[in-house]
Amino acid sequence: MTEEKKAEERKKRRTATEAAAKIGPMVKAMIASVLQARDEGKPIAYTFICCCYDEIIRAMDIVPAWTENYAGICGAKRDAQRFLERAGSENFSRSLCTYALCGLGFDIWHEELGQMPPDAPWGGQARPDVMLGSGQILCDPRSKWYQAAQHYMPDVPVYNVGLPWPPYENDYDYREVQDYYVKYIVEELRGLVTFLERHTGKKMDWDRLSELVDLTDRTWNLIWETYELRRAVPSPMGTGDAMNTMVPIVFMMATQQAYDFFKELNEELRRKIANKEGEIPDEKYRLIWGGGLPAWFALTDFNYFNSKGAVFPVETTYRMVEAVYNFDIDLSKISDPLEHIAWRWLKFWTYWYDKARKRPGSHPDVERLIQYIEDYKIDGIVMHEAFSCRTWHVGLVWQLNRLKKIYRDMPSLILESDIVDISSYNEADTRARIDAFIDTLEAVKSRGR
Amino acid sequence: MSQYFAGVDIGSTMTKVVIVNQTMLASVIGPTGPEHRKLANRVMEEALAKANLLFDDITYVVATGYGRINVPFADKQITEISCHARGVSYLLPEARTVIDIGGQDCKGIKLNNGRVMDFVMNDKCAAGTGRFLEVTAEGLGVKLEDMGRLSLEAKSKVEIGSTCTVFAAQEVVAKLSEGVPLPDIIAGLHEAIAARIYSMVRRLKIEREVVLTGGGAKNIGLVKALEAKLGFPVLLPPEPLLTGAIGAALLGRDIVKQAAESGTPLPKSERRLQQATLFT
Repeated sequence: MTEEKKAEERKKRRTATEAAAKIGPMVKAMIASVLQARDEGKPIAYTFICCCYDEIIRAMDIVPAWTENYAGICGAKRDAQRFLERAGSENFSRSLCTYALCGLGFDIWHEELGQMPPDAPWGGQARPDVMLGSGQILCDPRSKWYQAAQHYMPDVPVYNVGLPWPPYENDYDYREVQDYYVKYIVEELRGLVTFLERHTGKKMDWDRLSELVDLTDRTWNLIWETYELRRAVPSPMGTGDAMNTMVPIVFMMATQQAYDFFKELNEELRRKIANKEGEIPDEKYRLIWGGGLPAWFALTDFNYFNSKGAVFPVETTYRMVEAVYNFDIDLSKISDPLEHIAWRWLKFWTYWYDKARKRPGSHPDVERLIQYIEDYKIDGIVMHEAFSCRTWHVGLVWQLNRLKKIYRDMPSLILESDIVDISSYNEADTRARIDAFIDTLEAVKSRGR
Repeated sequence: MSQYFAGVDIGSTMTKVVIVNQTMLASVIGPTGPEHRKLANRVMEEALAKANLLFDDITYVVATGYGRINVPFADKQITEISCHARGVSYLLPEARTVIDIGGQDCKGIKLNNGRVMDFVMNDKCAAGTGRFLEVTAEGLGVKLEDMGRLSLEAKSKVEIGSTCTVFAAQEVVAKLSEGVPLPDIIAGLHEAIAARIYSMVRRLKIEREVVLTGGGAKNIGLVKALEAKLGFPVLLPPEPLLTGAIGAALLGRDIVKQAAESGTPLPKSERRLQQATLFT
């Protein structure tokens, strides 16, 4: 065994569930299938997670290449620095999203060579035929990354889907104008279909699209029900595993594979609960991963938490679904598939608005934390500020302070590093913080005894 | 028969050892560095000599601080957050917030009845730590221990724009060459470091009384700058470097007492009073 392989094995995170352990090979197969599709001449689209177009591209037989996923893989394999440096040498700021920098560095190198960069992780990322960005408010690289990539791949067209996220106001209900939001999203999605038909030569199969929309609804419900099982004490699955099981949620939605995966996970969790089998044998502290993308190169930190008796039954990160039957609208009555997708989008992103309005001083993100803290019997909050992901992380401290003000004080820990850039991470210091946090949890718990 | 307890706090720049029974019997502060850190056993030996005790007389040893892991003569390792909290609460029971300014990190601790309720740490960046002052003092050609006194002679504070320690060191040299008086530059440095510390610690909802510990608490200029940010005076322990070690010794005493009361076995390690191997 080579030294590199030994190091990789050493860093591998232990999973609690059999399902989560299957994710690595699934992702590897997904990357390989995109490369194979490239060889077979199938159209490939660069894609972002949570952009509403999963069913559309799959109904048109367009193969998604999830660029955030590939950057995350480079990070997890601790092989992102050379791509970050490539982007840096083109004067892209180190303060930009490191997923974007890693992807841009990869593409720049790829285009220079006319072939895959040497030893590209898992065979590399296939060159796209189209790039599908989004004007979604969630993060700014979604509209700028592919525009920048186009400087190096000028023959690859970009489509930016406009996906509005109604702003939360405690004295105003967006539902007054919700039809306008939906109309706008539908027009944007219709434009996407036209764009894809023109640039890939593929035709939309509308019946297939309706089937996939239905499959996605069912998958959302199943995921929500499966994750709710983690309320059990001891909890059968933690956030470390959820950072694996996010793969079918965000990279495989609208596929039977995603549905089947969660069916299997659901059965496994039920089995574990029946046997009172927790993520760890002696669960002492139940924590919520209350925000922030993980440091992909440091997922073993979850095992470190476990070694101190701490588990994470719930997280807000990558739980990008709700049970659609909990929405204030019956989606099954909306027959137009694009309209159906638009309503699902709108209802997901506004799901916590009503609850937040009922509690003075609250906010949807805070309300979600409160609900999870109660449902999952949480003792403390952990967040991760990844310096390069500004949009997701800028409000974490505010959320924490708000939660403590309007709900109750509880121990909290903010970890600091990045999603991809390993130079931002110090294992010894991170673990010293975790140790101190565990001490705090113990002190608070013993005070209540 | 008397029982004795030792606390060993191995920080980035100093190793501190305290021996207690019902009162504090001995304390020693020795230097830490790449070479010194592994010689923490010598500081322990010095403290034993001061207390007129043998190593085997010590019932329980708790190690804390940056270098606490793998100290071969400790029974248990406890984080510096818990140890500072215990030490400060013992010395100044009215404390509700602790700000510890160490050589390479800075911590804020929120206390309630002597227990840790919450904490924040800066260990990513030297700005806001003693290291910031060390580097800039070197750039100015001033002894670290003179920085506080000199800053009190300032007529006006210079604004230090760089938040990076390395760039700040360059900036102060440039200011010096512009003819800016040394005390004004040092006062500006204290202002900058106080601003960094305050912005981090205020996450905790600072409550009085605030106790300042660590090497930073020995710098009167920094203390004044922090008091100005806080808007009220802070409390200082008699020896700000020792609170972690005192807390460690007291926590050791608590552990022994608890084990005796509950009849549970004492969590002990095989101890050897020899060099630490962690940093070799």
